Formats: sequence, structure tokens, C-alpha cells
Amino acid sequence: MIGAESLGDGDILQIKTWRALCRRCAGALAPIALYVLLPVSAFSQTPADFAGNLGPLYQGILARPSDLNNTLQYAASASADDIESAIGTYEQLLFYNPKLSRVRFELGVLYFRLGSYEMARSYLQSALRMPDITADLQERVEDLIAIIDKKLQVDQFTGYVQSGLAYQSNPGAGPGSQTVLASGRAFDHRFFSQSDWNWFGAFGLNYVHDFETQNGDTFEASAIGYDAQEFRLHQFDVGLVELRAGPRFGIPTGDPKTSLSIKPYLIATGALLADTPYYGGLGGGLTVHTNVGHVALDPYVEIVQQSFRNSSFYPLASGFSGTLSTYGLQASGPIASGLGFQSRLGFGHASDNYNPYSYDVYAADIWLPWNFSFPGDGRLWTLIPTAGVSRWLYAAPDPTIDPNTTPRTTEWRLGLGLEIPLWRQVVLGTLVQYRADQSNVAAFTMHNLSVSAGPTFKF
Amino acid sequence: MTPCRIVLMLLAGALFASPALAQQVGTATAVNPLSESTPPGGATAPLAVGARILHKERIHTTTGTAQLAFLDKSTLSIAPNTNIVINDFIYDPNSGKGHMLASLTQGALRFVGGALSHEGEASIMTPAAAVGIRGGTVTIVIDRTGVHVIDQFGIVTIHNAAGTRILNRPGFEVTILSWTTPPGQPERVTLAEIDRLLALLTSKPGQNGGVPGLHTVTIGACGILGTQSHNCPDTPWLPTDTGFNDAGQLITQGTQFGTGTTAPAPPPRYSPGR
Repeated sequence: MIGAESLGDGDILQIKTWRALCRRCAGALAPIALYVLLPVSAFSQTPADFAGNLGPLYQGILARPSDLNNTLQYAASASADDIESAIGTYEQLLFYNPKLSRVRFELGVLYFRLGSYEMARSYLQSALRMPDITADLQERVEDLIAIIDKKLQVDQFTGYVQSGLAYQSNPGAGPGSQTVLASGRAFDHRFFSQSDWNWFGAFGLNYVHDFETQNGDTFEASAIGYDAQEFRLHQFDVGLVELRAGPRFGIPTGDPKTSLSIKPYLIATGALLADTPYYGGLGGGLTVHTNVGHVALDPYVEIVQQSFRNSSFYPLASGFSGTLSTYGLQASGPIASGLGFQSRLGFGHASDNYNPYSYDVYAADIWLPWNFSFPGDGRLWTLIPTAGVSRWLYAAPDPTIDPNTTPRTTEWRLGLGLEIPLWRQVVLGTLVQYRADQSNVAAFTMHNLSVSAGPTFKF
Repeated sequence: MTPCRIVLMLLAGALFASPALAQQVGTATAVNPLSESTPPGGATAPLAVGARILHKERIHTTTGTAQLAFLDKSTLSIAPNTNIVINDFIYDPNSGKGHMLASLTQGALRFVGGALSHEGEASIMTPAAAVGIRGGTVTIVIDRTGVHVIDQFGIVTIHNAAGTRILNRPGFEVTILSWTTPPGQPERVTLAEIDRLLALLTSKPGQNGGVPGLHTVTIGACGILGTQSHNCPDTPWLPTDTGFNDAGQLITQGTQFGTGTTAPAPPPRYSPGR
């Protein structure tokens, strides 16, 4: 222990009369105490105590601050998990040479990671004025400033638009043509497995209104849209739009590194299938956001009233109408330099008008986004391996398919996404995904390989 | 840190402190002239890079700036025309426990927190308020219009005889006019003010903080294909809910159940002729 004993937390908290007295007297005593303290000399300490249990790099900073190699090494190592310490060290380097654009950029990123956007912007803006800035760094700085400028707005919009082409070996998720239904009926041949290409378009839009309260209360809304038009198999043309909106209430935790908020929200969904109205959903959800260390956690519950419409291609769809309840947990965080994870565990229960269509589903998915750049090119590429599995447990046998077997299906998903930077906010988004369903009902066993690519504009 | 705790810390320091050997609590990691220091019981002398910072040491800058690094990995950047005193610094590196108290009577500083502030055990006294810092990074400026406290990260508790104000969000500022005036409402700090303070709290062009020779730095790009650097931007938001999967699910269910099936062929009729 360096220095003398001090009052412990327990001592202070337990002496309630002291607290009351303290509150009454704080205003008068504090300035007096301050000036009493100023001339008082210090506690005892042996030389061995100084920096005794600090890491060697930080000991080096205290003992030999002008050892630039040591200081740089410490700054790089501290950036991983002690952002503030890294800030202090990069600011030390800036004292030694205030014209280093790269140091200003690193400080901008560090303050950005703390959510201190004004400081981040100021460092980044000043980096642009430094004579040693390279074209690559300038581009990265300007991109980050654009992001910060949005975050400093009361009304913030972000999103993406993508369009492209996709090939699917089995876009309808149908069984092989030799499949025979146990009911003795024949499977509609238009839905057997067959390949096709499609054009697709997608967008996502997020809106945040910052009420600028100290708790961080916001109103959030998001919309996603997806449309795919098959070249031949128009029974699988699909379009979908979903809106979510609700207020988020921040809850103070007393710990700046632990956030907590709660958000109730509304959900509205509409979908076309085979170019005719197919599905409408209306419901609500509740989610909580918090974090454990660097891992963000977002548990949620959603209840949606689903309504399906029959059509010429899908004459039995209305049997799916009913209530879908979903309970899930999303988690995300960093793993290593440039590598993070996002994951989702979920359970859903659908109670449908036609009981054999009702089901329970358990699902787990993980995404592992990995940012990297090639030597000499500061632009970030993102590689995203994904994997997922769902287990579908239907409520009862469907007499038209197999009157004796209640469907049990396991769905496996494997994917690999790659975002290739093209120009500023434009990337080429590519995705290869393989899905295989194994079921005790032959008609539900299928596999599908999809490959898609298209430019994506992020804003 | 509660206001009561700040005051008790002051009193505890006054009660328990005794004259003893001066101890090093930190180091001057950067110094631009003119900056000077006065160790407890010693004479005022110019501050130099590498100088030991002791308990009760008074740091004064005129035209210069300085940065101090402490045992708990916190740092103080000090603007020109600033007076500060390191009143109290107790830190156990094994447990990470202790507390820090500094006082700012003139000028401006930026405190970047270390282990003690992560425990809510760092405080800076000003003529108008006691500032408790939890977790964070804070800039404090004293000028003719009062004491300005800017939260740059963490929870900042501002307390004086007239009241308490807590800042939870980076980028907000509170102004305090005097010890007997309540701390003002939080307001967003302007970018111009941040720019001004950033320039104030580091070296000016031509200065080197007392350490010449840093002409360039090599910091690797993010990722494993370049030189390692941990300071990568956060993972960008992934459009994991693009609608592709939801659309695929609609099609799958539709195909499997919703398409209808062809009725089985009727059994062969009995033919009496056979």
C-alpha cells in the first residue's frame, strides 16, 4: 500500500450521523479543508513501492518518459482494453510532436470508442491539417468525421441500400422431384427443387432522435425492405417491408462502463409472395440493452399477430394466421484485433389457426465480422463467416402431407460474407450461404446454395 | 463519488497526514517552458521531463504546458497560466484501491482517468466546486465567467455549497459561478470550445514537450495483414436483418405447407368383366 491508511468505504457508509453532519457542513468545510491541506506534507513510501506492481512498459513511461519506443509500445498495447490509458499515452506523444497526423487519428478513434464524439472530431479535424497526412489516412479521417457529424445531430439517420444479382440452387426450399408424400397425395411439381437467378434490392434505414438528456433517452425507428424477382420461378418472387419504432429510456447505473436502457417498440410487417399480398403482421416488443464488460447484451420479447392470405400459388396459407411469440437474446462484442462477434439465441412459439402449422422453434446464429486491410491500403475489408441452426417442432401431423408423422426439422445455415471497399461509402457486398434442412418428413428435407453480389451504399 | 465522500476525503487527509518523507506519485512526462514546480518543503524550480511528482507538489505554468502521468495510469494535461496542487494520492497497485485529490486554483487541465477514477476515487477541487470523477475523462477550465467542467467520458459529480449536478454524458458542460451558486444546467459543449482547449492543452507548433526527436510514428493498420494495431474502429453495424432470411422463411413455410397438394389418384374401379 502506498501512503497511509484512509477511511474505508464501510466506515464512511456506516456512520450515518457523520453523513448527515457532513451534508450540512460540506459547503462550509470543503474550502477550509482544501486550504488546510495544501501545505501539509506527505505520507511515507519506500522507493520499492513506486511503480512496484505496474507492467514493465508503464514502469518505463514513469521512469524514462523520453524512451519513445517504450511509449509507443505501451500505447499500442493499452488500446486493446484500457482506452483511457492509451489516450494519455498518445497525448504524451503529441506533446513531443504536435504535427503527427497519425497520432491525432489514433486519438480520434480512441475518443470515438469512448463515445466522446466532440473530442474525436476535434482530433480528426486537426489531423487533416497536418503536413504528413497521407491520402489513405485522409480518406479514413474524413469517413470517420462524417460518421461523427451524424452522431452529434439531434436527429440521426443511417442506413444502406443494396442491389444485385443472386443465384439459388433451390429458391423455393422445395424437396427433390422424386419425393413422395406419405399421405399419398402428390407434391405440387411447381415447388420441387429447381435453380434460378434473381434480381434483388434491399434497404435499411435507422432513425434516432436524441432528447439530449443525461440518461441518453432517445426515440428510435428502423425500416428494412427486401425484394427479389426471379428470372423464371415467379412463384418465389418475394417482397418484404418491416417497420419498428419506439422510445428508449436510459437508466443510470452509476458505472460509466455499464449501460442500461429499456425500449418498448411496435412492429409492423407486410410481404408479397408471387407478386400478390401474402402476409401482414402487427405487434410489439420489449428489449433491454446492457453490457458485461465489452459484450453488449440485448434480450428481447416480441408478440406479433400474423395474418396470411391465400393465393392461387399458396391456397392454404391462411392456416398460418395466428400469434407468434419470440423470446431472444442478442450479444455482440470484440474478440481480438479487428475481430468481433454478433450472436442471437431465440425461441419462438407460433399458435396458428390450423393446428398442424403451429410450431416451436429454437434458433442460434453467430456472425464473426473481421475487419482487415491490405498493406499499403488503409481501406477496411470485412469478412463475415456466419453459422446458424434452428430446430422446428411442429404441433401435429398434417394429414395432407403425412398423417402419422409430426414434422421435426433441423435447419443448418453456413455463410461467408465479404464486403469489399469500392469507394468511400460504397462497398461490394457478396454473400455465399448454404442451407440444409433435415426432417423426419421427406418433403421438408432440402438444401439450397445461394450466391449473391451487389454494390451497397452505406450512409 | 458522493459529495459527502469528497468532503470526508479532504478531512481524512487533514487528520491522518503527517510530515514524512516525500513520496513519488507520478512523473512529468512532458514539459514545455515555462513550467515550474514546488515540492513540499522545497524551493520552486523549473519542471523538467522525467521529474518526480511528489505528494503535495504544486505545479505552476506560465507560458508553458505540461503532462503528468501517475501511478494509477491517470494523466493530467496542464494548460499555460495554471496552478494545481496534488493534495493527496494514495494508490495500492495490488488492489487498485486508493484515492486522489488535486486542486486547481487557476487555469485549465484535462484529467484522463486511471485505476482510481475507475473506482470513483478521483476528485479535483476548484474554487467554485468539488468535481468527483468516476471512470472518466474531464476538462476543467477556470476563467472570468466561472468554472467550466466538461464531461468527456464517465460520470462527473459537481458539488458545492449550493447543490449538486451530475453529468453522465460525454460532450456536456456545466458552468459554476461560485461556491455558493448552484451548478448550472448541462449544455452541449461547442466544437469551437473543444478545438480551443485541444490546442491549449498540448504543445504548440515548434514545441516538443522536452523530448526532441519524434519525427514520425509507425502505427500498423487494423487487422492481421498489416502491422498489428489494436486501435481498430468498432465493428460496423451489420445488416444481419436484411429481410433475406425472413423472406426465405416465408417461402419455405409457404412451399412446405401452403401450396396445397394434388389429391391422390383414385383407386382402380372394380371391373365386373375381369
